[in-house]
This record gives sequence, C-alpha cells and structure tokens, in this order.
Amino acid sequence: MLLNFDRLGGWKWVLLGITALTSAFLILPIFFIAALSFGSSQWLIFPPPGWTLKWYAMFFADPRWLEAAGTSFYIAVIVTVLSVLIGLVASFGLVRGRFIGKEGLRALFLTPMILPVVVLAVALYAFFLRVGLNGTVTGFVVAHLVVALPFSILSITNALEGFDKSIEDAAVLCGASPLEAKIRVTLPSISHGLFSAAVFSFLTSWDEVVLAIFMASPTLQTLPVKIWATLRQDLTPVIAAASTLLIVVTIALMLLVALLRKGLKS
Amino acid sequence: MNFALTLPALLLLVVFFILPVLSLLLRSVLEPEPGLGNYAALLGSTTYLKIFLNTFVVSALVTAVTLAIGFPVAWALAIMPSRLSSIVFAILLLSMWTNLLTRTYAWMVLLQRTGVINKTLMGMGLISEPLPLVNNLTGVTIGMTYIMLPFIILPLYGVIRKIDPAILQAAALCGATRWQALTRVLIPLATPGMVSGALMVFVMSLGYFVTPSLLGGTANMMLAELIAQFVQSLVNWGMGGAAALVLLVVTLTLYAVQLRLFGTARMEGR
Repeated sequence: MLLNFDRLGGWKWVLLGITALTSAFLILPIFFIAALSFGSSQWLIFPPPGWTLKWYAMFFADPRWLEAAGTSFYIAVIVTVLSVLIGLVASFGLVRGRFIGKEGLRALFLTPMILPVVVLAVALYAFFLRVGLNGTVTGFVVAHLVVALPFSILSITNALEGFDKSIEDAAVLCGASPLEAKIRVTLPSISHGLFSAAVFSFLTSWDEVVLAIFMASPTLQTLPVKIWATLRQDLTPVIAAASTLLIVVTIALMLLVALLRKGLKS
Repeated sequence: MNFALTLPALLLLVVFFILPVLSLLLRSVLEPEPGLGNYAALLGSTTYLKIFLNTFVVSALVTAVTLAIGFPVAWALAIMPSRLSSIVFAILLLSMWTNLLTRTYAWMVLLQRTGVINKTLMGMGLISEPLPLVNNLTGVTIGMTYIMLPFIILPLYGVIRKIDPAILQAAALCGATRWQALTRVLIPLATPGMVSGALMVFVMSLGYFVTPSLLGGTANMMLAELIAQFVQSLVNWGMGGAAALVLLVVTLTLYAVQLRLFGTARMEGR
C-alpha cells in the first residue's frame, strides 16, 4: 500500500506536496538568475523595474569575459579528448587484462572521485610552483584530467563489460586484424560508454572551480575563475548574464544526451 | 601484456595525484622543522578547533536536512506515475548539472538583505527588519542543502524502487496501520540506503570549499577554506599539509566505513 501510488490516500498529497516544494526549491533559483539577467536594476531587485540586454552587452564587450569563456572551452575540449583516449586504453587493460592487483588498480583509478578536491588543488599547486606549470594551459589540462579520468574509466569499463567479446573474435575469424576488429566492431558497440565518458569529462572540466582557482594566473583563467573573482567584489548582474549563458549550454548538452539516448534505444 | 594499457592512466595518476598529495603530507611533518609541531599547533588552538567543530556541525546539519527532505521525495519519485516523475527527474538533473558557482551566486542574490526572500517576507508583513540570511550558518546550510539534495535523492530512489511492494501489502494484511507499515517496514528496509547516502553527503560536505566560503561568514569558516588560507595567504605549507591530512584521514575513514557496510556498489553506482 505504501508503495502503491493510488492507494496512498491522504498521504499521497503530503508526498506530492513535499516533492513539488522541493522541485520548486531546486528550480526557482536557476529561474531567478535567468530572469534577473534581463532586469534593469543593478541591485538585482525582483521583479525587475524594467527589462534590458545591457548586462549581456557588457559581457560581450569585455574581452576578459570572452577570453575566459574561450579558455574554458579550449581546455575542456583537450581534457575531453585525452580523458576518453587514456580512459579507453586503460579500460581495455582493466577489463580484458589478467594480472595481479587488477581490482586494486581499478579502485586506485577511481580515488580522485572521493578525495576532497581542495586537497588535490593545494597539492598540485605546490607541485606546479616547483615545475612552473601554474597559469599554463598544460597545468589546467593535467589538473582537470586527474578529476575527469575516473568518470571516463567508469563509463567505458561498464560499457566494455557489457560487450560480448566473442563478436570481436568472430570478426577476427572472418579475416579482420585484431586492431581492425576493435575499431570497426567493438568501438561502435560501446559508443554509448564513450559518449557519456566524453560528456562527463567535458562538464567536469568546464564546471571545475576549485582546481582552477589555484591554477589560474592573472593572464590565464577559466570562466568559473572569472565568475569567482568577480563575485568576491560584487554581485553585478553581468554574472547573472554569464550564468544564464552557462545554464543555456547545460540545457543544450542535456537535450543532446537525451536525444542521443533515444536514438540509441530505437 | 594488457597491464601495459593501463600505464598512461597510471603514470598520470602517480605524477599528478599520488606524488603531489604525498609530498604535501610530508611537508606537514618537515616544515618549518621536522616533527609534529604543526599537528600540535592545529589541535592545540581553540581557533582551529572551532573551525573543525564548525565543519562537523555544518556537515551534520546539511546531512540531517537533506535526509529529511530527500526521503519523502525519493519515496514519491519511486511510486509516482512516470510522466510526473520524469519532470521531477529533469529538474533534479538540471539543478545538478548547472554550474556550481551559478547556483551559489543565485543564493547569494536571493538571500541578501535586499534579496527576494527578505523583500517578500517584509512585503507580507511577517518581519519588519531584513533577516540575516547570508554570511552565517543559515546561508551555508541553505546553499549546501541545495547542492547536496540530488546526491541523497538519487541513491534513495534506487533503494526504495527495489523494495517489493508485496512486503507492504503483507504488512497491511497482517493489520499494520499506515504509520506502522512506514516506521516498522518501509523505513527499516530503506535504512541501508539512507545511511549510505547520508555518509556520502556528510563526507562531501566536510571537504566543500566554494559554497561555504561564499555563503558563510568569517565567523564560521570550514576546513577546506582553512587549508586554502594556510597555503594561499599565509604561505604556510606545513600547517596547510597538516590540515589537509586531517581532512583526508576523516574522509578516507568514513569511506572505509561505507565500503565495509555496503561494499563498492554505491561508489560505482554513480
């Protein structure tokens, strides 16, 4: 009865009420930021006294905002490519390999997911100070790669474990070389795993704040670092405009994922 | 031979993860001079102890609130018609995928003295002075709860979905009231999920940096911010390393407890 929606009686409305309130709690702040980015008040008053696009104009007129967005995108793309490639190779080793300590190695590959990011950030910052990687694209890429790679390995090993290796063997029997069989048979079959590895890696790098705060220099910063630095001065609606652009990117990516999932299923 | 395939990933991890973290921890016992002086200073000062305490209080508070809200929502999600639940899921995922700073900024705007919440409450005549909602414990708790809610709702949803409805029917047939079925059947069956989700939210909260430093005040600093401050403003690597080790030990211990209790399934289930 408690697990049957229609037979919950009055409790049904209590549960629905809490769920509705929680959903509102989760969605309204995002909605407010989007609305306020078009509001004319510098003090972010809601409802806004008038509507304007001036905060977007300020965003696009300031080369530092655009540069930060460009840097974020550039770094996220490199991280995505490297993360999927290294993750793919490592996943083959982890799933197909037979060696001592395999499970331990697999667990080790996932540890960056559970370690507090601030510890990694401070440790890498110290290391980069010695080797001169702070404030460089390489520094950002490496730092983001460490936290993105576990997501790749997780999605790709899962996909690879679900793939029947005998299909690949059959391709080899029919005359394909082992590598050819992997590229033309195995990779297309695990493409959903590769795709989620790519999306997670991209978003991990694109949204990453803590590592980026430590890696950034006055001349090289990502969009989250620029937002962070601006936030510490004031709450200017330009941040609301930048945030809304980020939300749009997020929704676009979510829709893409949903569409591709649907496409894969049918 | 296949072991060689894991080498690029392993190399990356050793050079840019394991060695830097170990070296930081080493510095905590070597700088400024060899010994446990940093740990003595860290644990012997009331200022730092207050920060530890505050970190635990905030994390416990956030865990309790997310659990109290998350359980009914996960329950509703598990049984509601799929058309409704897919809307709620879309909202959950959108909130999770929205940039962390964007979400924190939203709360800074909403909670400020002239923010929507204070304006609305004053407009309704409920308060005459703006409530101090930000730069204090209230602000951090609201902001962190907001960030952590999906992390408890999603695993709890998985656990409740797996419970066989027949068990609850049996309870009803045996004469259990709704309330008895809830407290004696449903909640006990969902307890492993609640403990596991709560542990995860608690551990994640302990190490959080961005949200507490933007929504909390100077009076209630948390551990992650202390570590950053030691390193960035005070350039005290010894103390920074010592504070990092404390955070690391607590985090890893709690994960070990979780692994002991629930196996690896939770971590890999993400």
